[in-house]
Amino acid sequence: MSQRKLEDIMAEVRSFPSIPGAAVKLLTVLDNPDTPASKIEETLRYDPGLTANVLKLTNSAYFGFPAKIGSVRQAVTLIGTKRLIQIVMLSCVSAVMDKPVPGYDLPPGELWRHSIAVSVAAEGLVKEQSIPAADEIFTAALLHDVGKLILGGFLKEDIKKIELAASRGMSFEMAEHSVFETNHAEIGALILKNWSLPLQIVDAVRWHHTPDAAGKTNPVLDLVHVADVLSLMIGIGVGKEGLQYEPSMAATRRLGLKPIHLEKVASQTLERINELSDVFGSK
Amino acid sequence: MRFVVEVGDMKVGGGDDLLLTLALGSCLGLMVYDPAVQVGGILHAMLPLSRINPEKAQSNPFMFVDTGVPALFKALYDLGGHKTRMIVKAAGCGNPLGENEMFKIGERNYTVLKKLLWKNNILLESEDVGGSASRTVYLELSTGQTIISSKGKKWEL
Repeated sequence: MSQRKLEDIMAEVRSFPSIPGAAVKLLTVLDNPDTPASKIEETLRYDPGLTANVLKLTNSAYFGFPAKIGSVRQAVTLIGTKRLIQIVMLSCVSAVMDKPVPGYDLPPGELWRHSIAVSVAAEGLVKEQSIPAADEIFTAALLHDVGKLILGGFLKEDIKKIELAASRGMSFEMAEHSVFETNHAEIGALILKNWSLPLQIVDAVRWHHTPDAAGKTNPVLDLVHVADVLSLMIGIGVGKEGLQYEPSMAATRRLGLKPIHLEKVASQTLERINELSDVFGSK
Repeated sequence: MRFVVEVGDMKVGGGDDLLLTLALGSCLGLMVYDPAVQVGGILHAMLPLSRINPEKAQSNPFMFVDTGVPALFKALYDLGGHKTRMIVKAAGCGNPLGENEMFKIGERNYTVLKKLLWKNNILLESEDVGGSASRTVYLELSTGQTIISSKGKKWEL
């Protein structure tokens, strides 16, 4: 029974929509720091929707460039490739992540707001603590819960079993595992692997609730882990499972965090989330 | 009218108004009601103490328990409410699992609230705080009825 369910879940992973071809192409292009702006412009030209979104985001309050940026070429020169990757990822995944998530009881737009919140909080922690973290942090944070889009449907069907498991006090991803032999973090990692995203991002998503089980420590993973719990605590994207996750002591120690850091970042996060989600017209 | 109180915000009203606030995780939801004049309000405060970000507290006192609670009472006094008649209820202040003190913001929110109320001789009429559940609160201002909804169930606070 459970084996068949796992097979059904994996079938959905295989048929999950991919991110637009232009995005994958662009990520490869951007991977090379010497890519000329003209090459990036050329890649984006084939996707006018993406180009429009990139320019809209570039000019948003969140990125805070004083001058109006009117072309992709100008954007590349002014904001650099690191920010451009973030902007491209934001545009590409918003359509996927904006959907309601049954099972977890997330209304339309709430998973997206949560994804933005975790990205913003993770970047806030990096800044607050001057943590040397890779550029992948923003994308990993943005996509950490993509697995919920698949598991949500299965969760809904088996909600009684999940609730029974969760009522024993175990963390929610363990409750998922006890019923499905997988959890939303693992499913998310499989999706991103199919998207051919860098391994560091795939791993950060895979272990975002259990960073100590990852085998190899990594600040990107620790940051996504901490930022995720923090965002749930302030009520952004908090679903049926509430706060039923266990923050890792080791991860906060590795990052050198103190309570004041978490609270300070939380106090700065709300406004920045609104700046970003305003661009997409959601709440 | 139906008003949604966002995270780090406060709303007051009276008469036929219905106030609600969604997704209280570790945040404090404070409901204050004066039945004699039928005015009340909800505060949805995120963090215990304003001193971690004084600038933010200046622009938005409702983000913090220590600045938000006095602001809520003051707003109700302005609407004709009186301290001795106020019915005060608390919800939220949840925490994730485990013993990591850093993430016990909910617990700290509750501690600061209790201290503030105690200093001002105010008692909580009822509370539904702690645990790991997320809560939504409805406050009906014609009756003062306070309903909590969490994990698909509803009950009166």
